[in-house]
Amino acid sequence: MTSTSKNAAGRVDARRARLSRWLDPDETTLAVLLLAPAAILLSVMIVYPVGRLIYTSFLDLSLTSGLPARFAGLANFQQMLDDPVFWQATWNTILITLITVPGALLVGLGLALLANLPFQMRWPVRLSLLIPWALPLAFAGLIFAWFFHSEYGVVNDVLNRIGLPGVIWFNSPRLAFAAICLAIIWKASSFMAMIILAGLQTIPRSLYEAADVDGAGRVRQFFEITLPLLKPTIVVALIFRTITALQTFDIPYMMTGGGPGTATATLAMYIHQNTVSFLDLGYGSALAVVMFGLSMCVTALYLRMIRGSESAS
Amino acid sequence: MSTSVFSAPGSVLSGKPLRAIAALILVVNGLFPALWILLTSFKTEAELTLKPITWLPHAATLRNYSQAFSDQPLLTFLFNSVMVALLSTVLTLLISVLAAYALARLNLRFRGLIMSVIIAVSTFPLVTLLVPLFETMRALNLLNTWTALILPYTVLSLPVCTLVLTSFFEAIPRDLENAAMIDGCTRFGALFKVVVPLSAPGVFTAGILAFVNSWDEFLLALSFNSNPGLRTLPVGIQLYQGEFAFPWPVISAALVVGIVPVAILIVIFQERVVSGLTAGGLKG
Repeated sequence: MTSTSKNAAGRVDARRARLSRWLDPDETTLAVLLLAPAAILLSVMIVYPVGRLIYTSFLDLSLTSGLPARFAGLANFQQMLDDPVFWQATWNTILITLITVPGALLVGLGLALLANLPFQMRWPVRLSLLIPWALPLAFAGLIFAWFFHSEYGVVNDVLNRIGLPGVIWFNSPRLAFAAICLAIIWKASSFMAMIILAGLQTIPRSLYEAADVDGAGRVRQFFEITLPLLKPTIVVALIFRTITALQTFDIPYMMTGGGPGTATATLAMYIHQNTVSFLDLGYGSALAVVMFGLSMCVTALYLRMIRGSESAS
Repeated sequence: MSTSVFSAPGSVLSGKPLRAIAALILVVNGLFPALWILLTSFKTEAELTLKPITWLPHAATLRNYSQAFSDQPLLTFLFNSVMVALLSTVLTLLISVLAAYALARLNLRFRGLIMSVIIAVSTFPLVTLLVPLFETMRALNLLNTWTALILPYTVLSLPVCTLVLTSFFEAIPRDLENAAMIDGCTRFGALFKVVVPLSAPGVFTAGILAFVNSWDEFLLALSFNSNPGLRTLPVGIQLYQGEFAFPWPVISAALVVGIVPVAILIVIFQERVVSGLTAGGLKG
């Protein structure tokens, strides 16, 4: 073998070694490489925007005024305290959460118990839980607006058929609010049911067989076996539901547009209106900071619970 | 194999007639709204204003469908929805496959912390991103582009996809990977030649979840892409309503066109969707 070809082989080896170091890095380098894309995306799309959001909430920044941004201290938050629409929207959001989260849980639990019966054909049942889940919220809002239509809606038609007078749902703040809550509960309960159904199916049958031997009735079995064993599943589902309910936007936007007046406006709708319609980014940001705070409280509760269950097991 | 196929000892109800009633309740609850829209989409405007209202269409017509496509650029809305959802799904999968592999296979020192961050992000309220992203997209001239939606949607689905994929990767025996590496595969090679193909159902499941997430999103699409040529389906569907006129049969036809693609996806892949939802929801 000549020396030149030896050199060339050496160079190829070196290049291959460099290449393989790139392709086959050690554990730490590999971890950094694998997690970097996610970390970069989250920094650019969440960490930076949240920082920016908090900064902007202290600014007087309205794109319609044409004036440059000006530091305004707590003025936006001051304005919020005196803003009846803010209070109304926040109260509506909290009320929607308090009504639809337990509502969706109860309906979802009922649907899951029904769906857990020994049907010969599973697919129609599964499909009737999956379709509401996959239906875009905006579509569900439109469909329910049509359901509750005062003249030609199917809800009033059914009321008439059973001898009750029809109602103009969207003219009354209370009835409009009730219609919105019903739509949200319908949309959310199917997801709840799927999660609970999966939980039901992990409960070992032997527990029920033992209870049968002991002579415990079905109702007692439900309260003493099913419900306690479902608790972890239900709690996780409740937390996700709560955070989603705080962000309620699509369904009231499509059904009432917040009306009559601002009777059914939510915090998310008010943020959207201030930001996109009024281009008042300062005030919109301050409102969003409130929303962020609300949902962080729920998330903190959730994380604490997970840690608790990890250390317990 | 789930036990529920054979019996459900945990349920309060039992017996054949009760089962039939239960099935009826489930199907009516789940499918009636979609069915009602389907029926409405075949009715004429004249039939719609009859009192008392009709349930089944008297003189079924397909005119509403042709009108749904001619009144508004429905095909464009569909195309935008599909492209934004597909592209964000691909991006989400690429990023979450890498992250999930690290979480499932490597001895990470900060694994607990990273998991907490992923869970915290999964509960992040997208609404709060509205203001800063609106400002940023406006400054970068990205309003009314697919990019303005693809990036936030990727963030929206990243946590749940990472959790689903991590649990799938953890279920694959390490030996298969080690064997591949002994045969001269690099770690990346083993990831894409052994782990990903073996967890194809998991990747697929995560993909469906990401797709449906993007397909459903409304607030950001409404705020960032107001140009009719760039509207997604949920946003575009509003354009059918005039100030005072609600052409419900035409709106219903457009809704049916919007529901069908995802309904087909769900019908074909229902078992995978269910397993993905529960893995993503319960693992957290």
